Amino acid sequence: MEWGRAPIRYGFSVACVAIALGLGLACRYYGFLDAELSLFDLAIVVVTWYAGVGPSVLAVVLSTACFDYFFVEPIYSFEVSRAELPYFFLFMGSAVIIAWFVAVRRRIETDLLSTRDQLQAEVEQRRRREEEIRELNKDLAKRARELETSNNELESFAYSVSHDLRAPLRHVVGFSELLQKHASSALDEKSRRYTQTILESAKRMGNLIDDLLAFSRIGRAETKKRLVSLDQLVKEAVAEIGQDTKGRDIVWKIDPLPVCYGDRSMLRLVIVNLLSNAVKFTRMRARAEIEIGYVDGENEVHAFVRDNGAGFDMRYVNKLFGVFQRLHLPEDFEGTGIGLATVRRIIHHHGGEVRAEGAVDQGATFTFSLPKGQVAEERSANTP
Amino acid sequence: MSELGRVLLVEDDPRDVELTMTALGEYNLANEVVVARDGQKALDYLYCRGEFGDRSNGNPAVMLLDLKLPKVDGLEVLQQIRSDQRLKLIPVVVLTSSREEKDMIRSYNLGVNAYVVKPVDFHEFVNAIKELGIFWAVINEPPPGSMKKAP
Repeated sequence: MEWGRAPIRYGFSVACVAIALGLGLACRYYGFLDAELSLFDLAIVVVTWYAGVGPSVLAVVLSTACFDYFFVEPIYSFEVSRAELPYFFLFMGSAVIIAWFVAVRRRIETDLLSTRDQLQAEVEQRRRREEEIRELNKDLAKRARELETSNNELESFAYSVSHDLRAPLRHVVGFSELLQKHASSALDEKSRRYTQTILESAKRMGNLIDDLLAFSRIGRAETKKRLVSLDQLVKEAVAEIGQDTKGRDIVWKIDPLPVCYGDRSMLRLVIVNLLSNAVKFTRMRARAEIEIGYVDGENEVHAFVRDNGAGFDMRYVNKLFGVFQRLHLPEDFEGTGIGLATVRRIIHHHGGEVRAEGAVDQGATFTFSLPKGQVAEERSANTP
Repeated sequence: MSELGRVLLVEDDPRDVELTMTALGEYNLANEVVVARDGQKALDYLYCRGEFGDRSNGNPAVMLLDLKLPKVDGLEVLQQIRSDQRLKLIPVVVLTSSREEKDMIRSYNLGVNAYVVKPVDFHEFVNAIKELGIFWAVINEPPPGSMKKAP
């Protein structure tokens, strides 16, 4: 019980002392002597306990005064006879000590109560938080299940594309070939061209399906990241592409490249795609120049492949990395339009970015960023 | 190379059967080819039951097996063969459209002898079939008990 308003508390103090006084006087009237000391002490205890320090002091003062006035010889005066002095001081001392003890006890109890309330609030809060966490976990599990389902669907989709689309295509190609072989003497020039077109289109579709499948596999495949020497990858890619560039005058300017952190076969695909693009789009140059280098960043390296080939219009730079997006006619430069989309997907998978700069007929520069070898190593060493 | 081994072709698509037979025919390998149109028929042939109840005994020199088949699929056929004492020595070549790593791993785990992805290009397809036919039906010495006939 805590009373907020001072007048009530002080009034309570006066009332308690008055009651103690009344009872004391009554006791004396009926012949019970010396009960007043206990009664006043009781009043002080009650006031201190329920009304606080100020009223308690008031109660002590009032009790002392009443005690002195009504019960200490000479009675009905505030004077204290010499003989009664010890009794008076005993009363005063006991009143002060009792008030003191009760106040301390009261404070301890109040502290304990508020601590208990605090603890209870904390427990409640924790329970609510745990509830929230449980809810979130449930959500997460549900989301994971959904993701797994859609991933499985995607996988079976890719599987049927791989298997079911290829079979009819093989038949188109096969039977067109057979038709060509068996009936080419009976067919006129136009019809022969038609069958030839059927064949070429079917083959092109085969390439598209293969590329699309390879592209979708990037997203599904597990990446095995480790330190990869870009130098080595470029060397391999140049050797691989070199077989198709016989008779061309290509100047390779290859700077020493750093070690990166990533999936080797995927990064190899990136380099091969970029270099074969550079080779393809410099075809009309008498002397093709292809430069490979890098710029050191804080946590990543920015490697670039620059050529002096056909370039592109910067207005269409956003279309460059889309699936099946092409900026050139198939008669000029062959291709399915998936190479750069693959590059971008792989680099994004590695947490990097791809950029392209160029101008029509003035060559193009493709820059991709990758986490540095040592940074990635430190990072993986720090994670348990 | 004095004998021609019997080839069991397990393939559900009639067009693929025709293309394969055409390819084998170009190299005179088509005579000894038995075609089973699903996994069940393939097992019937191997166990000499059903419509193959009265065939002469003996295992084929090679089995060209498609993976996606009605009723019993290729991998199930393969599993069945490899777990049967009498059949497990038959050389099996998976001939499929699927380039999926999953299929390859499962096939090799089941002990396939070769895994060939059917090329889309007809010339490559013919070449692949020819080489398969020549290697498995002519060059390779099949396990004892396989059916062979003098050419």
